[in-house]
Amino acid sequence: MAILEEPIKEVKTIKNFIGGEWVESKGEIKDVVNPATGKAIARVPISTKEEIEAAIEAAKEAFPDWRRTTPLSRTRRLFRLKELLEENFEEISRIQTQEHGKTIDESRGETRRGIENVEVACGIPTLMQGYFSEDIAAGIDEWVIPTPLGVFGIIGPFNFPFMIPLWSAPYAVATGNCVIVKPSSEDPNSQIRLAELVDEAGFPPGVWNVVNGGRTVVSSLLEHPGIAGIAFVGSTPTAKIIYKGCGETGKRVIAQGGAKNFMAVMPDANVSATIPALMTSFFGNTGQRCLSGAVLVIVGEDDSFYNDFMDKVVAAVSRIIIGYGLDDSVQMGPLRDKEKKERVLGYIESGIQQGAKLRLDGRGKVKIVGDYPQTCFLGPTIFENVTPEMKIGSEEIFGPVMSVMRAKNLDEAIEIANANPFGNGNAIFTSSGKSAREFQYQITSGNVGINIGIVAPMAFFPFSGMKDSFFGTLHTQGREAVRFFTESKVVIQRWL
Amino acid sequence: MQMHTCSQIIGFTRELENTSAKFYEALSQKFAKEEDVFLSFVKENKKYSAEVERTYYGVITDAIEGCFAFDINPDEYAFQAELPEKVSYAEALDRAMEIEDKIIKFYSDAAEQSKSLMADVPRAFAMIVKKRGGRVSMLQSLLGKGA
Repeated sequence: MAILEEPIKEVKTIKNFIGGEWVESKGEIKDVVNPATGKAIARVPISTKEEIEAAIEAAKEAFPDWRRTTPLSRTRRLFRLKELLEENFEEISRIQTQEHGKTIDESRGETRRGIENVEVACGIPTLMQGYFSEDIAAGIDEWVIPTPLGVFGIIGPFNFPFMIPLWSAPYAVATGNCVIVKPSSEDPNSQIRLAELVDEAGFPPGVWNVVNGGRTVVSSLLEHPGIAGIAFVGSTPTAKIIYKGCGETGKRVIAQGGAKNFMAVMPDANVSATIPALMTSFFGNTGQRCLSGAVLVIVGEDDSFYNDFMDKVVAAVSRIIIGYGLDDSVQMGPLRDKEKKERVLGYIESGIQQGAKLRLDGRGKVKIVGDYPQTCFLGPTIFENVTPEMKIGSEEIFGPVMSVMRAKNLDEAIEIANANPFGNGNAIFTSSGKSAREFQYQITSGNVGINIGIVAPMAFFPFSGMKDSFFGTLHTQGREAVRFFTESKVVIQRWL
Repeated sequence: MQMHTCSQIIGFTRELENTSAKFYEALSQKFAKEEDVFLSFVKENKKYSAEVERTYYGVITDAIEGCFAFDINPDEYAFQAELPEKVSYAEALDRAMEIEDKIIKFYSDAAEQSKSLMADVPRAFAMIVKKRGGRVSMLQSLLGKGA
C-alpha cells in the first residue's frame, strides 16, 4: 500500500482573487477538512457582501478592454492556461482527492475533463463567428454578431470542485466576458490553484475572479444588476431558487440540479462488461454525482437471469476496496462530510422502514484500507424489491446506494424512469439495437447512455438535463456555452 | 494483492519497464559486444512507459471504469532481474526472454481485461505487445549467434 504524497501540507487561510490581487476576506472563517483523514487542510472565508461587490466592480471595470481584446489574443491566454494545467495536472488531481475524498483515478479524470473544456474554448475564434447574408433586399445586407454580455457568476458544487466551473468559465472569458467563480466552500482549494494558474497565464486583472463563501455571495450575484447571468450546478431546490432569481432580475441562467438515474439492464446485455460499468456508475465518486446510477432496473420476467445477475452484482460490490483516495488501490473514498453520510444513512433507514429488501448493508464498521477514522466512510448498500413509491426509489440519495427494481419489459422500465421527476442521465444495457433506439427515443432524460453507465458528455457537447434536473434553455459546455455567453446582435445595412 | 484500478496498473507498468531497463543496462555492461542492442532496449523501455502514461493521462475520465477495469495479480508477472556474477551470455539471454515473456503476458492480460471498458489504454498495451515481439525475435537471433 503506497500513499501518494499530499500536495497541501500546511493549513493556510484562503484568500479571494479580485481584480488580479489575492485579497484577505473579513468574513467568518471555516475549516476545510479532508474527509478521509478528518484533518483540517485549509481555512476558507465566507465572504461578505462588500467583498462580492468589489469583485463585481473589478470585473465590470475589466470588461470593456477584455471585450476589445481580439479572440485570438484571448485564446492565447487559454492555450497558456491549458499548458499550465497539464504541467500541474498531478498536483491539481491530488488536491481534489485531499479535499473531496474521491479516488486518484477519479480526480485525474476530473482534471482531464476540466482541461478538455479549456481546449474546446480555445476554438473560440471560429466558434463565436457570426453569419452573413448578402442582398436580403436590393443593396441591403444582414448579419449577426455574437457579442459578450459582461460579467457572469459561476457557482460550483462540492462534488466536482475543479471540473464543473470549467464547464462555463473558459467559454465565458473566451467570448470576451468576465467571470466571478464561487467555489464550494467545502472544497475550494482546486479552484484557488486554478486561479493562480489563470493569473500566471496572463489574463488581465478582473477578467477571472474568485470569491469564496456561501449564501451571501450567491444572493449578491443573483440580485446585483451588474451580473449578466449565472451558471449554477448543485441541488434541485437551489437550482430552482437560482432560476427564479435570475428570471426576476432578467439574467441569463443555467441551473443544473439533482438527479435520480435509472440503469435498465436487458436480458440480452453483455453481463461481464455491464457489471464494471455499473460499479463506476453507482459507486464511483461514492455516488456523489448527478450522473450516478441510482436505480438498477432489471428487465424481463426471467427469475434465473435476475438472480444470476444480482448475485454477480452483489459479489462485485462486496469486493469494492474502500479507503483514502491517495492510496491508488482504493476504489471508493469517503463521503464528503459527516452530515452527508448521516443523510445517506437516513435514506437507508427509510428503505428498511418502507419494506425494501436490504441485500447488502453498508452501515456499521466499514473495512477501510489503512488507519483512518470511520467518520465519513460508508460501505456500499444494495436494496432489492424497491418500488417507485419508496423514498429510495424516487429521491436523490447522493451516496453509495443501489436500489433495484424489476420491470416486465422495456416499456415498463421506460415508464418507471419517465415517471420520476428528474431526467438527467439514464442508460440502457443491451445488445439489441432496437431496444437501444427505443430507449433513447422514449426516455425523458437530458443525457442518455447506451451501454455506458456514466453519461458524461464530452466538452464539445452540451451537458444536458430535463425536468427537475435542469432549469434554463442553453447548457454548459461546447457550442451551447458559446451561445449562452453571447448575445446575437443583428445588423441590417444599406448604403445610400 | 490484486490490482483493480487504472492508477495501480499504470504504476505497475512503470515498475516493470524500469526494472527491465535496469536489467538491460546491466547486460550492456556485462556483454559489451551487444551494448548497442541492449541500450536500445533500455531506450524502448522508457518510451513504452512514457507512452502508457501519456495515453492514460490523455484519456482518463470519470466516465469510464478507471477504478474497476482490472483484476490483475502482480505476482504472476514477477521476474528475477538481477544477474549472477558469473552468468554466461546464453544464460543471460535466456533470462531476458523469460522477462520479456512475463512482460508480454502482463500487457496482453491487461489489454484483454480492459478492452471493452477503457478508452485507448488497452490499445497502447496491445501495441507494446506487438513491438515487444520484435525484441523477442532479436533476443532469439542473438542467442543463435552466440551459441
